[in-house]
Amino acid sequence: MPKPIKLTLVEQGGPAADSNLWHHPDFALELFKKPAFWEDLARRLERGSFDAIFFADTPAIRADTPYQRNHALAAGGGTRLDPAFLIPIMAAVTENLGFVVTTSISYDQPFALARKFSTLDHLTQGRIGWNIVTNNVKSAALNHGLNDQLPHDVRYDRADEFMDIVYALWNRSWDDDSVPRDPERALYADSAKIHKIEHRGQWFDLEAIHITEPSPQRTPVLFQAGSSARGRQFGATHAECIYLNATSVEETRRLITQVKSLTAAAGRNPDGLLFMPRIIPVIGETEQLAREKFEAFVDGCDPEDALIVLQQWAGIDLRGRAPDEVLDIEALTAGSAGLHAADHLRRLSRDGRRFTVAQLLREYAFGGAGNVTVGTASQIADVMERYVDEAGADGFNVAYMIRSRSLDEFVELVVPELRRRGRIAAPRDKATLRQRLFGWGPSLPADHPGSRITPVTRAV
Amino acid sequence: MTKRIRLNATTVNGPTVSPGLWRHPEEQAARYRDLSYWRDFARLLEAGRFDAIFFADMLGAYDVYRGSAAPALEQGIQIPLNDPRYMIPAMAAVTTHLGFAVTMSTTYELPFPVARQLSTLDHLTEGRIGWNIVTSNLDSAAKAFGLKEQFDPHERYARGDDFVAATYKLWEASWDEDALLLDKAQRRYADPARIHDIHHHGPFFDVDGVHLVDPSPQRTPFLFQAGSSEPGRQFAARHAEAVFLNTPTAAATKFIIDDIRRRAEAFGRDPASVLFFPKLTPIVGVTDADAEARYQDFVRYSSTPGIFTLLGAWTGLDFDRVGEDKLLQIAEKADTRGLLESLRRSDPDRKWSTDELAQVFAFGTSALTIGGPQRIADWMEEFIEFTGADGFNVAAVIQPGTIASFIELVVPELQARGRVQKNYGEGTLRQKLSGGGDGRLRLDHPGRQIALAEIRQREITHA
Repeated sequence: MPKPIKLTLVEQGGPAADSNLWHHPDFALELFKKPAFWEDLARRLERGSFDAIFFADTPAIRADTPYQRNHALAAGGGTRLDPAFLIPIMAAVTENLGFVVTTSISYDQPFALARKFSTLDHLTQGRIGWNIVTNNVKSAALNHGLNDQLPHDVRYDRADEFMDIVYALWNRSWDDDSVPRDPERALYADSAKIHKIEHRGQWFDLEAIHITEPSPQRTPVLFQAGSSARGRQFGATHAECIYLNATSVEETRRLITQVKSLTAAAGRNPDGLLFMPRIIPVIGETEQLAREKFEAFVDGCDPEDALIVLQQWAGIDLRGRAPDEVLDIEALTAGSAGLHAADHLRRLSRDGRRFTVAQLLREYAFGGAGNVTVGTASQIADVMERYVDEAGADGFNVAYMIRSRSLDEFVELVVPELRRRGRIAAPRDKATLRQRLFGWGPSLPADHPGSRITPVTRAV
Repeated sequence: MTKRIRLNATTVNGPTVSPGLWRHPEEQAARYRDLSYWRDFARLLEAGRFDAIFFADMLGAYDVYRGSAAPALEQGIQIPLNDPRYMIPAMAAVTTHLGFAVTMSTTYELPFPVARQLSTLDHLTEGRIGWNIVTSNLDSAAKAFGLKEQFDPHERYARGDDFVAATYKLWEASWDEDALLLDKAQRRYADPARIHDIHHHGPFFDVDGVHLVDPSPQRTPFLFQAGSSEPGRQFAARHAEAVFLNTPTAAATKFIIDDIRRRAEAFGRDPASVLFFPKLTPIVGVTDADAEARYQDFVRYSSTPGIFTLLGAWTGLDFDRVGEDKLLQIAEKADTRGLLESLRRSDPDRKWSTDELAQVFAFGTSALTIGGPQRIADWMEEFIEFTGADGFNVAAVIQPGTIASFIELVVPELQARGRVQKNYGEGTLRQKLSGGGDGRLRLDHPGRQIALAEIRQREITHA
């Protein structure tokens, strides 16, 4: 029995998600402000056998310098609707599609975030997931009245404490049978089965009854994507699904093995963790046509996008250089050891790759060539199967080039191919997201820390 | 020209509208967790030409009565409560004109995310969003957010002033009007030179950055407020475009309206530009007798512990410990329909049971109105004439049941009298409620002035 492949689509409450091609003639630009756009997308995803839509989000512009700020604003990075508000629109017109939304732990209070996700779990009938981020952008801190980010690892310590509180609110405040809604006894809820959670910690104090009644999943399905060592530890402890940015089957396999061993060390069943690499498919009727299509996309990109990616991810600044200048990668990246993209470039350089400025900018048009998978539907399905069978991935976070045409092509061409290969699970009618992804649920499994939490509780 | 009577439906995202009535066989409010329930309700209100639906909200349990949250939980009184803001986009998707007023707290939230959320909603609803600004007055809420106890009222409102000042800057002074270019050929979605960081450094809040949403139809959402304490009235006079009231008598209502309008004028605002929505809880029947029978049916389901839970929160008194004399005193003050008076006349030596006294408050402490359409419409018109109010905040006894009856029977009567709109006006919520304008905050509103000051400061800094 081939392992089924899970699918989520990356989206955002702005003019573009991961794509740089908002200015492409076919890109649907302003529709994201209209409920009808999201209703339509939701229906198409559900018909196209997607398990969920995933909303990336950062509550700030990603910019370290005025140059980057201005470019981000010119490229549409200054408009980002809060994606949580798009979910009810889509939930109302679907029955099976899941919704994973990114929310930062850094700027929300645990009580309010717990309420938000319980509300969303109720109104989606148990189809909600939470992508937990701790944020790594100084501008976000300044937006929220903090002078700067907390140091990296400290953010995760704070996040661990945050998780303790929300687990307690979701799982220990209202017992399973605490809402009899019994007119005879005049009891909507049974106060003997409801508890006040008390927490006194390093970062948070709280004394509260969770303000919502138990939702179908109680705890949203927990996603995470942090790629630092501390981030991986956090993911291994808390996440049920991990999003990866790895750019090769081998790299993905290494990462998955590493995180699974961390998970086992944390006392959890490593098979309780799903891994979903990101894929950006470019599909053509033939391989040649797919290549040409991809090159046309690259031609259509603004070189400044790649320039800024290289500044932010590789610590190198190519402004002011001639396009045909051949680059000395070792010298350029001397000061950026440890940055993922810088290390990657150094490896390529040592393997004999040479880049001119123009070539490197093309290579990073979409954040690094390994991110994009170019080929026929069959070839793309082949690649996906390799990630699943050889690296241990469980599914993919699919990003588009062109909103919404790329999704339509994927649904029309690749999904049927995957179905032919037995890789699309039969839909479980009206299941919660956890049941759909894992086959168990709707609450967290017993070996998850959220199920084992032992907070201080008081009578109401 | 007789004044248009505006209508809001006031509700909560929870199972109980009136204490005990969750048990009534026709009560639907227990479906509050379903989107379809709210979408149907929104459609009903739009068919009934209501201006808006208003979600009251709170962030903690009522626990004055019996010193515990148990009675509140047992009757579903303001707990459980889902977060109402997430219902709105689904309701907006099935309506064209209905407005949505959502409560957000300046005590427990931050300006930047609140501004972003309200702009998101303003875009998704095409300008139909309002913000009910609350400063939160529950100890249980304070403890949920890690405070030992709540701030005192003056500090709360000072914090509220600081909070809204930051949000005005984000909504009004970050993106210029013409910043959005949508120019694919030039690859310029927006002009960065026309998008500005705002810099707010107040006694309570710091915000440095750009507003993360381009200008929505109203920019600043329509602003509601509901606190009637002294600092609350100052706050309303400064910031509110509309005020919700819940005062027991027409005289008390008129007093507050005149007071807030006077204060608004002292702040340089046109007093008539502040709209007032006193509460109305109608029980409507085809005839007066029908309506009275409906009332008698409903009151059988009312819950004394539930009523005392609400009263406990409103008065700060624990009615489990308060003497019967005190309870009778309070009941008499609230007995605006003369219920106790008429019963006492028929039996002068009557000794009230606790349940009987509680029933005076079964459906709120003000504006319970029982009758056929003519009686209710007459009452509404007289109330508006006397108080100078601009509309009503209509509360349900069972939901949508009693609202549906109101829409079926009273709205057509008021429409025939030319008092309620037959069709919606054009534009955003602000334009509809104000009867015109360009949809933006008025120039005499402090939000415009604060934004102007921010822009001038920026020009000086960059000069």
